[in-house]
Amino acid sequence: MIHLEGITKSYTTGAQSLQVLKGVDMRVDAGELVAIMGSSGSGKSTLLNILGLLDAYDGGSYHLDGRDMAGLSERRAAEMRREMLGFVFQSFNLINFKSAAENVSLPLYYQKVPRKERTRRAHALLDRVGLLDWAGHLPSQMSGGQKQRVAIARALAANPRVILADEPTGALDSTTSEDVMALLKELNAEGMTMVVVTHENEIAKACGRTIRLRDGLVETGMDVGA
Amino acid sequence: MLERDSWLEVAHNVLAHPLRTALTGVSVALGIFILVVMQGLGFGLQHGVEQQFADDAVNSIWVEGGRTQMPYRGSQSNRPVKLTNADMPGLEAQADTVPSSSRRIRMWGAEVVWANPRGENQTGSFGLRGVDPAHIELERSTLLSGRFINARDVAESRKVAVVGPNIVEELFQTSEPVGTFVRINGILFQVVGTFEDPGSRWENRVVYVPFTTAQGLFRSDDSVDQVIYSTGDMTTDATVVQSARMLSWLKDVKAIHPEDARGVRVDNNNEEYAMYASIFEGIRLFIWGIGLMTLLAGAVGVANILAIGVKERTKEIGVRKALGATNGSIVGLVVMESTVLMLISGCVGLMFSVGLLSVVAPMANHEYFQNPQVDHRIALFALGVLVLVGLASGLGPALRAVAIRPVEALRDE
Repeated sequence: MIHLEGITKSYTTGAQSLQVLKGVDMRVDAGELVAIMGSSGSGKSTLLNILGLLDAYDGGSYHLDGRDMAGLSERRAAEMRREMLGFVFQSFNLINFKSAAENVSLPLYYQKVPRKERTRRAHALLDRVGLLDWAGHLPSQMSGGQKQRVAIARALAANPRVILADEPTGALDSTTSEDVMALLKELNAEGMTMVVVTHENEIAKACGRTIRLRDGLVETGMDVGA
Repeated sequence: MLERDSWLEVAHNVLAHPLRTALTGVSVALGIFILVVMQGLGFGLQHGVEQQFADDAVNSIWVEGGRTQMPYRGSQSNRPVKLTNADMPGLEAQADTVPSSSRRIRMWGAEVVWANPRGENQTGSFGLRGVDPAHIELERSTLLSGRFINARDVAESRKVAVVGPNIVEELFQTSEPVGTFVRINGILFQVVGTFEDPGSRWENRVVYVPFTTAQGLFRSDDSVDQVIYSTGDMTTDATVVQSARMLSWLKDVKAIHPEDARGVRVDNNNEEYAMYASIFEGIRLFIWGIGLMTLLAGAVGVANILAIGVKERTKEIGVRKALGATNGSIVGLVVMESTVLMLISGCVGLMFSVGLLSVVAPMANHEYFQNPQVDHRIALFALGVLVLVGLASGLGPALRAVAIRPVEALRDE
């Protein structure tokens, strides 16, 4: 599903150039649940940006679902994100002036799905994450766990091939963390491919496989199936 | 469908932030309101002052005798100076061109008596003027009925009169004055016409009779109280030269000290009007200045609020991008929101200011302040400026916001 070969990325600030990714090779197959671990500065977020088509890479190749992602225009990248990817964030990032159902239907708005159909699908997804009764509530009226479940429903809305989760439990207590991970595993069991960026061993253990980043490279020998 | 959807999205975003919407709205509405009201007041002032000049023809020079203040060539000071019939050809010779002119005899408190059809005498005290035919244009009076004094009236010293609206109202009431006879200071005159003068109240309390008639009946000598010369389409500078020449010629003929300011008066309306015109111009510039500054202040406020609004929405923009929004659609959304917001609040400001002016306008009837009005072009211009500033100020931050990499924007520090 995801195939990276020799991905490099550097940032230039003033006269200094910082090589963040030095040639990342990784592979995620369809239906896998993979954790990406690494200390801060290891290039995790940069990798996630590139996987999420939110940033361009300098060298190497990136194939998503068999398609080469080289040299996408901004518009085309947005289109690919819309069709292929779902995002889940640490701090949920729900739009706070929109209700749960409106948040979930937002990706469908960008897919130009008609309004009635959007609402219908948003309600079905909220039902799937067990929050149908909360459809009309604003994020500020919900608990952290509920918010993250709404965010997961939103990530599912566009019917993506891959869900990218960035520290999905980072802002949650341990009990709710388990609930959220259970939900992600359930979705994975239904066939959804997932990449979870985390620094928590507990979470990584719950995933099928762990990829460790250190100084812009994948640590070899650690890429082992659980 | 999509069109309707994006408008709904805009409406939702605007209504979901009442404070931001209210702040932006109020500053836009206030900017427009102040600009339009200021312009309206400016126009009121201008109309008022223009009204002051509606009394007499602008292109005219007025000459009249006075009283000396300095002894000169053997004459004592405090000597009355009178223009006479004999001075007229010489004075006229000083002019470059005289398209028309009128001599004037002035009398205060002439007793006018009209015997109504029931035989009752209607009496009133009014001003009387002996004039030449061109006087009606020089004084900017309007003939209401009948005719004005004509050349034959003057040549034959006919006893005919043209009366003002106050005389009609007080003596004749509903009767038709033209064709009837009145006694002026005991002498019978036929009323041949009626007029009105928009310039001032006093002008409407006047009876006009032929110059020669007035001089013959009410003056013991051949004196002329005043002469009015039209300057036609001469430039203001040329009229200044001409009036100076008339003055020095008169001073010489009448033996008035060259520095005596009171011996004889030559008033140039051209010059005075040019002076007032430059004052109007100054007032107008001043009002424009204030208006533009207010607009600028409003625009800066709007830009500020929009910039803060977009910054506050960095996360939201990141989310939208991650969910598949293109940069273009995000910038479009932000710009559309600010434009809609500014157009609506600008219109609200416009409505309030137009409303205020239309309420105030009928009450505003001071001598120097009349008929304040809204110039629609200015209102539309102001609205356009605000919308443009809004677009520009929303565009910059929106472009910067979409340039941020979403995963960083969405990460908690």
